[in-house]
Amino acid sequence: MSESKTVTLNMGPHHPATHGVLRVVLELDGETIVNATPVIGYLHRGIEKICESRTYQQILPLTDRLDYSAASANNLGYCVAVEKLLGIEVPKRAQYLRVIMAEFARIMGHHLWLGTHALDIGAMTVIFYAFRDREMIMAMNEEIAGYRLTPSFIRIGGVAYEATDDFIAKVRKFVAWFPKALEGYHQLLTDNKIWTTRTMNIGKISAEEAINHGLTGPSLRGSGVAYDVRKAFPYSSYGDFDFKIPIGENGDVYDRYLVRMEEFKQSIAIIAQAIENLPSGPVMTDNPLVASPSQPEVQTDISALIRRFMVNAKGTPVPSGELYSAVEGAKGELGFYLVGDGSEQPYRLKIRSSCFYLASALPRLLVGHMVADAIAIIGSLDVVLGEIDR
Amino acid sequence: MTDLLIIPIIKMLVIFGVCLFFVAYTTWIERKALGHFQLRYGPMRVGYHGLLQPLADAVKNFFKEEVVPDNADRAVFLMAPVISISFAVMLLAVIPFGPAMTIFGKRIDLYLANPSIGILFILGLATIGSYGTILGGWSSGNKYGYMGGLRASAMIISYELSLAFAVLSIIMVTGSFSLVDMVAAQQHFWDWNIFREPVAFLVFMISGIAELNRTPFDMPEAESELCCGYNIEYSSMKFSLFFLAEYTHLFVFASLVTTLFLGGWHGPVLPGLVWFFVKTFAVIFVCIWIRATIPRLRYDKVMKLEWKFLLPVALANVIATGVVVALLG
Amino acid sequence: MEKSDIINVSKNRGEKGNYVKPILKGLQFTMGNFFKKPVTIQYPDQKTVRSQRWRGLHKLNVDEKGELKCVACGLCAAVCPSQAITILAREDEGGTRHPEKFEVNELRCIFCGFCQDACPKSAISLTKIYEYVNYNREDFVFDISILKTTGEKWNS
Repeated sequence: MSESKTVTLNMGPHHPATHGVLRVVLELDGETIVNATPVIGYLHRGIEKICESRTYQQILPLTDRLDYSAASANNLGYCVAVEKLLGIEVPKRAQYLRVIMAEFARIMGHHLWLGTHALDIGAMTVIFYAFRDREMIMAMNEEIAGYRLTPSFIRIGGVAYEATDDFIAKVRKFVAWFPKALEGYHQLLTDNKIWTTRTMNIGKISAEEAINHGLTGPSLRGSGVAYDVRKAFPYSSYGDFDFKIPIGENGDVYDRYLVRMEEFKQSIAIIAQAIENLPSGPVMTDNPLVASPSQPEVQTDISALIRRFMVNAKGTPVPSGELYSAVEGAKGELGFYLVGDGSEQPYRLKIRSSCFYLASALPRLLVGHMVADAIAIIGSLDVVLGEIDR
Repeated sequence: MTDLLIIPIIKMLVIFGVCLFFVAYTTWIERKALGHFQLRYGPMRVGYHGLLQPLADAVKNFFKEEVVPDNADRAVFLMAPVISISFAVMLLAVIPFGPAMTIFGKRIDLYLANPSIGILFILGLATIGSYGTILGGWSSGNKYGYMGGLRASAMIISYELSLAFAVLSIIMVTGSFSLVDMVAAQQHFWDWNIFREPVAFLVFMISGIAELNRTPFDMPEAESELCCGYNIEYSSMKFSLFFLAEYTHLFVFASLVTTLFLGGWHGPVLPGLVWFFVKTFAVIFVCIWIRATIPRLRYDKVMKLEWKFLLPVALANVIATGVVVALLG
Repeated sequence: MEKSDIINVSKNRGEKGNYVKPILKGLQFTMGNFFKKPVTIQYPDQKTVRSQRWRGLHKLNVDEKGELKCVACGLCAAVCPSQAITILAREDEGGTRHPEKFEVNELRCIFCGFCQDACPKSAISLTKIYEYVNYNREDFVFDISILKTTGEKWNS
């Protein structure tokens, strides 16, 4: 029998701190990690393959199920990609509503991250405060779209429904309330010495290495790279809003934490601006290839009826061509690489999932740390397995 | 005959029963208080505000399947929870719950035994009881359990020291090892050891919470790191026993804090017994409050805290107390 | 990207090094919440109100005469992303189409609401019912008779 000095520890797929079904095979020397191998695929549903046999409209609800903690941001990414290929313009009001939904999705995703990250490190109360506020956003999702977690509200060419007055009132109320709640999170964690010793100088990654690993989003910004798709390649009217990109300096868990905490603030600022300056007008493009005619129109006009059949049953023919379009999801750059062949179904849809890159940086980040730090690092990267396995 | 046999047996049964009742309700208080700290209700379903929840839990655990893993060292695996619970319950024997009472013309002391080395008895048995944790983690044939057991042993070796030194300064102040004498020495509010020995109180609280494996020092059973650590493979009543032992330890710890620092059963107006339990549950509440607020320290930092901070402080406090006691007395 | 667009969040982090004060602040915060009314509700006894747009179980609407509005055009079946709807059409003597078979598999359904949006006759709509249980998976394949009266079973 050969003598082995290390212990292999299977962390996951059903470990309370691996956020879903991430499995990391750790090689331990005592409690220090000498080697780490992430194993993925436990949540594989073949979304990319399914997309090839669905019309462009039908793919939309599937994108909700990628990063399910921030569903609207995925909707937005997909719709922006298809619209670019179609070459259609979305009405301003719809763009603003999309921004509101996407920023709410970001806040929802960050709520889930904050709660579980703190819970992993042992502060068990934060998650309940975070979920109290997350519930408010869920209620708003329900108000405007009819569903809480996977609203499917953003559609190709615009958004599904007009915003109700109740929704706008709720958003205003939330914008006024949320900074106070954020102060509470800070009070529990930010200055707490136990929290800082658990997070400072843990899982450090330099800017250059982070770029080489393909990290995006808060994890990249924590290393000091000011890259945010919203600023770098503005889409959906993000250029209209005044917001700032938070960056860190050290690229450790604590900096990633601070970056996300600041993003809460910036997101709420964007939402406040969007709801105050919400333009009037339609919420759906009038392009006949995309827009499903309204119910009164259908009742009176035979051509509208035919159009509704064409759009819904046959789908929208998208010109052949390929493009890569990215948006800033809650976890990082969420890209859709779309190949159209002139038919109503995509020839290929490749999803660039930011979480996949985050998870693939795990071996680099974990080695040399202790098991307790592994939990903190996985939590700080905020991987969502729905997006990794697709 | 009555004095030697029957009264102790009755006392034993009463103390055992009453304390286990309180221990069971400690779990209820913990869940309820944690719930309210976290803006939720906690148990609400079984009985009024979940008051019968401990009972329901006991029944549930009783009917669960007993699983012994193939890898486990069967004999040790089965013994570990028994060690844990029996030594935890033994601790209750020396705790003075209240002043002596007169029932049917007989003077009854509200403790089972008053050995002249009461506090050493508690320190000793508490340490032996933690063998249950270590053996349970080691014998279950699970790496998480094994790591939990390892952490438990390291914690116990370390924190036992500062705990003992904190107690030592109280012993010096009181001049006795007996818990009853210690309570007797804190008759007046201003005599309470928390005012005489505030440093010892803090050290005792921190190392006590660490000994109890509670957040922020819950190393052996860190939920999110080791998925419950030493008791990962335990199910059914065996798990219940561990659970019960843990809460008995919490109860004993709280009553020790009451006895050593908060004047035991002394207090105005209310009878001594009531004061004792009020203080004890106040200490338990503080433990829950801390659990609801503070993140978990990392394992190596916990060790650092002990060896580089708590132990020197406790030692310095013992020396300072010694000097003061020598000068005054 | 311009400098003014960037905030450096980790500027003063070296200054944070106090054990006691932040912990006391945290303790004060949790204690403040201890006396607040919990935000959770006691679910089966109390329920939150569903919004008007809630997408719950399906329902087939009927007209004033009590006949199904559905003309079995099959648009909902075609637009359904998870292919949960099966329709068989039948024509009566007058040439009007009716659904012979209309089945919705509620376990396949992802409640996107596309069928409701697509229907030209407003014949299919989503109710507010979100809590449903059955003993068999087969019972979740709703046929016309169930869909006509969706909710009676679970609302009672």
